[in-house]
Amino acid sequence: MDLLIPLMVIVPIICALFLNLLHKKDRTIKAIAITLALILPLLPILASYGMHYFGGYAPLTENPTLSTGLPSLITGTALKTFHPAITYSFQGAQKLFIFILGLVAFLAIMVSLFETKRPSGVYGFMMFMGVASLTAILLTDDIFNFYVFFEIAALATVGVVLVSQVKGNYETALKYMILGGIASPLLLLGIALLLGVTGNVNITDIISSLKSGMVNPQNPVILMACGLIVFSWLYGSGLPPFHTIKSAIYSKALPHGAALLQAFSVFTFVALGIIILRIFSYLPISQMIILGVSLLAMILGITMALLQTDIKRMFGFLAVGELGYIGLGLGLGTAYGITAGLFQAVNEVLITAFLFIGFGTIYYQTGESDIRKLGGMMIKTPLVALLVLLAGFAMAGVPPLNAFQSKLMLIQASIQAGLPELGVIMILMSIVTFMTFMKAFHAVYMRPKPVELEIKNEKIPQATILALLVFLAVCILFGLFPHLVTGFLQTLSISLAGGMP
Amino acid sequence: MTFYDLIVKRIKKAQEADSEGPVTNVSTSAMLTAEITLISSLLVALIMLRLVSNVLMIVAVLVVLFAAILSMPLMPRLKKEQNDSLFNMTFYVVLALTIVIVLFYWGSLNV
Repeated sequence: MDLLIPLMVIVPIICALFLNLLHKKDRTIKAIAITLALILPLLPILASYGMHYFGGYAPLTENPTLSTGLPSLITGTALKTFHPAITYSFQGAQKLFIFILGLVAFLAIMVSLFETKRPSGVYGFMMFMGVASLTAILLTDDIFNFYVFFEIAALATVGVVLVSQVKGNYETALKYMILGGIASPLLLLGIALLLGVTGNVNITDIISSLKSGMVNPQNPVILMACGLIVFSWLYGSGLPPFHTIKSAIYSKALPHGAALLQAFSVFTFVALGIIILRIFSYLPISQMIILGVSLLAMILGITMALLQTDIKRMFGFLAVGELGYIGLGLGLGTAYGITAGLFQAVNEVLITAFLFIGFGTIYYQTGESDIRKLGGMMIKTPLVALLVLLAGFAMAGVPPLNAFQSKLMLIQASIQAGLPELGVIMILMSIVTFMTFMKAFHAVYMRPKPVELEIKNEKIPQATILALLVFLAVCILFGLFPHLVTGFLQTLSISLAGGMP
Repeated sequence: MTFYDLIVKRIKKAQEADSEGPVTNVSTSAMLTAEITLISSLLVALIMLRLVSNVLMIVAVLVVLFAAILSMPLMPRLKKEQNDSLFNMTFYVVLALTIVIVLFYWGSLNV
């Protein structure tokens, strides 16, 4: 067992608790937070692939020493294959996702510390707790453990919004909690139904119970559990009908907070989407619903983004719309489609964070995010304007940037799967996404500066520009060498597609 | 008056009723683009019904096309529905839950 696997969750939790204790000690918070945040992307790089068992041991089939001397009632039945511990699985896909999450978290935390005059320990606490939760969500093979961290992630999301001091943040956070009060217990109910029927909360064991015939896969209780889990997937990732509140949440957070929150949503989407595909892929309706909801998210998210006048809300809706691309990849159900969808997830996390932090410089300088009141910022910050323009190109899928590769793969996958209509819709949506971006870019940077617009902070911190350059470098790297990402995803994709190419 | 002018006029009227500030060229063209995107993507998505039945696909495309043209502009109404009201959000959340459960329960048992 590699001890670095549990440390990926434990380190951010310790950081969070430690920062909270240091509340109001500004310099100490800054130094410790940056040092510890730097560890986040390093841990998955250093850790070896493997499993970690919390509070138990490996299945008896994998550990002959333990099974020696046990009665045949245990060793001669399916009990020997069950996972008695909370199991964390660290493979190629997890390595990539946790690295990207750590990188975005590090850059968002760094930007927040340099853009805030008095760094808040509470804000740092929320960000680190969110990262710890999402890391656990990506690692765990235990669906109840997943639920626990799903709830902590929701609370951390609310916390990031609550401490933002953006007008209307309390009301939006309260609405998010109320809607979470409907969706989260239903996820727990779905898990309870699965536990009741299969006697297990370990996902691998649930699957083996269904495949071996120990449990009837068409049992109505299992169908109900699947419906409830799918519903909570909509809430966790911000798919319709939760797209309105999710985009509102992004708009009421500070830009660096929103950059991290959208990463939480994307990885929750991916993690729960993978669980749904693993357990319920034998139900054709599950893939149809994933496709339908993703299509709806894409259409509603992107068309609604076009109508917004607040930059943060606009990119909040765009982030929801971009989730649709990932869902279409997963819903196609082929290995190539799933790889493309997961690749798009990685790209979306990076590009949306890039855009939130890039346009966040405008909010930092002016305290304004309404495009009707902005203009002329190109003269003030030409370098940042160029970086933001490149981020917009990346989101629209312009070569040689990363989303070009993943969107091309998605279109190819949809044609291969016999659904070229999806490819047509994806192209159409990419064009509208670019148009939405250009609407914001023109209003903020290229239009003459309104007389009443006041510049509160002339100088953008070097840390923010460094973060934008890092995002750009990664976008170009993944665009030129897509196999750097897809190589980590193929094993998972093939297993999710049931061995089909 | 051309068909295009008619659509733009109706969009401007709907935006004025929405009273979110002055109606500008940018806001009108954004609304028009969103309208065209919504309808065209829905129609393209409906073509996928060919996998079920070609006749169903043709009927569905024609019905949606005529319904969309007759009830234009759709986007101002859609925007109004997708506001930040907790009542609206809760309504759609409950509606979505019902649809998902019905689809999974009956969709899986009877398909």
